[in-house]
Amino acid sequence: MMKWYEVPESAETNVIYSKVRLVRNWSEYPFPGKMTKEQSLEMTARILSSMQGLNELDQNNYSFSYLHQMTDLEKAVLMERKVLNQGILKKKDAGGLVLSEDESTGVTINGDDHIRIQVLEKGLSLADCFQRANQIDDHIGEHVDYAYDEKYGYLTAFPTNMGTGLRASVIVHLPMLSRRKNFNSLVADMGRFGMTIRGVYGEGSENYGSLYRVSNQKTLGQTEKDIIDLVSKAATELSLQERRLRREALKHHAVACADEAYKSYGVLKYARRLSKKEAMEYLSQLMSGISSGILDVTDPCSIHELILGAQTANLLSHADRPLNKEEVDEARADYLRAHLPEIR
Amino acid sequence: MLCEQCKKREATVKYVEVANGVKTEHNLCGVCASQLDIGPFSAVFEGEISLASLLSGLLGIQDTEKKDGRFAEVLCPTCGMTYESFIDTSRFGCADCYSVFGPLLGENIRHLHGSERHMGKRPGHVIREEAAKAQTREQETDDEYLPNLTKEEQIRLLQARIKDAVRREDYEEAAVLRDEIRGLKEENV
Ligand SMILES: [Zn+2]
Ligand SMILES: [Zn+2]
Repeated sequence: MMKWYEVPESAETNVIYSKVRLVRNWSEYPFPGKMTKEQSLEMTARILSSMQGLNELDQNNYSFSYLHQMTDLEKAVLMERKVLNQGILKKKDAGGLVLSEDESTGVTINGDDHIRIQVLEKGLSLADCFQRANQIDDHIGEHVDYAYDEKYGYLTAFPTNMGTGLRASVIVHLPMLSRRKNFNSLVADMGRFGMTIRGVYGEGSENYGSLYRVSNQKTLGQTEKDIIDLVSKAATELSLQERRLRREALKHHAVACADEAYKSYGVLKYARRLSKKEAMEYLSQLMSGISSGILDVTDPCSIHELILGAQTANLLSHADRPLNKEEVDEARADYLRAHLPEIR
Repeated sequence: MLCEQCKKREATVKYVEVANGVKTEHNLCGVCASQLDIGPFSAVFEGEISLASLLSGLLGIQDTEKKDGRFAEVLCPTCGMTYESFIDTSRFGCADCYSVFGPLLGENIRHLHGSERHMGKRPGHVIREEAAKAQTREQETDDEYLPNLTKEEQIRLLQARIKDAVRREDYEEAAVLRDEIRGLKEENV
């Protein structure tokens, strides 16, 4: 089955993917930080079993696993692929993961909160992501009485999630916009409207690859629909602005744009060692080159899949022995050479 | 402009928070922004990472107030969370912590979210309770009594009942419920 991130990028938008996550807690147990080992194990098992019916709910085929039985590398790979969040990596207590075959839908049990429902989809589709997460939430809610308060809404471990427990994010490719001097004031504008924008793979000028995550900042006092609409609008606007800049660049610096795209393609095609920074930068150029029509790929392809595949834990997981830094860079170049799309 | 934290590097990350019309502006360099937990800033970004100093730092709870303060004695009877460790970890220990620490934090919650009251979805068990309450009331008073549910919630309730009916293989009941949903959906369209 095709993974969600294998879906090719759309030429219509710079929004690479959308993500919705809901956090919930079970009123029968204290929050994860205050649970005993026994409670953690018992709760994880109970939620996993209450979710067995999920396979009848939608077309996805779900697998059920225990996080505490996974190796650190397995968890790191899942984190790179956005299935797990950082908080859960260090946890030693019992935990569970329910994951759809295409990896778009995941429920993490006993992370920072008891239940974390996440749906990922290529392109701008927050409303659809929410609708799917909401359905799973309703399903679990038939078996589990959630910790809920009329005033504070869904009660979460962190005060930053209380209320809807909803974080709606879009990941946008902004290579031109982020290089502009006024990018910081745009970031500030986002804050004024209750959103935050942050580099996916680093801060400021070190966000190699120019992927930015835009999410709602507040979770209390707005409806889920308001939050989804807000972030969707921001994503559309950012994408439009980026494309306007790109059209200008193509018009006035056509050769420079083409040179950048073809050089990046050339390096990715022939390099024998690539650091993560290099890979991310060239892949970002490749993404721009394809999306602006400079590079004509023979088959539609997902550059985001290459970005995920070029991450360190994924490369390590495919090696038959531990690798040092230079060997990882070699493995990265090998991987990218093997998976690079053909161009005409 | 220099970073307000290290006062060495150029500030590249500007963050403006507005809650209740009060605007707070922060200018940081990339290094400081990524290393420091500046409240909602980092909260939103990684979603759920630990936010030590979230409430004490950005939300203006002073260290002195926290240590020798008025709330030092406050403790959640259910999970044992103390006020001090709640402020240190920015983390509730259980659902009851909300009723213990919530009232002490009204201002801070408003500052964080721009609101103090939930407006979104309600869980299934609350919807079922509302429906049951209305039914009891109706039986007691012999008057028509509408449950305190939105149309969406009524539909959710009916959908759950359909599932239940199908499980019991009571297809007649399921059909009646389906008609009821259709009726609701057609209302004021
Ligand atoms: Zn600094
Ligand atoms: Zn508590």
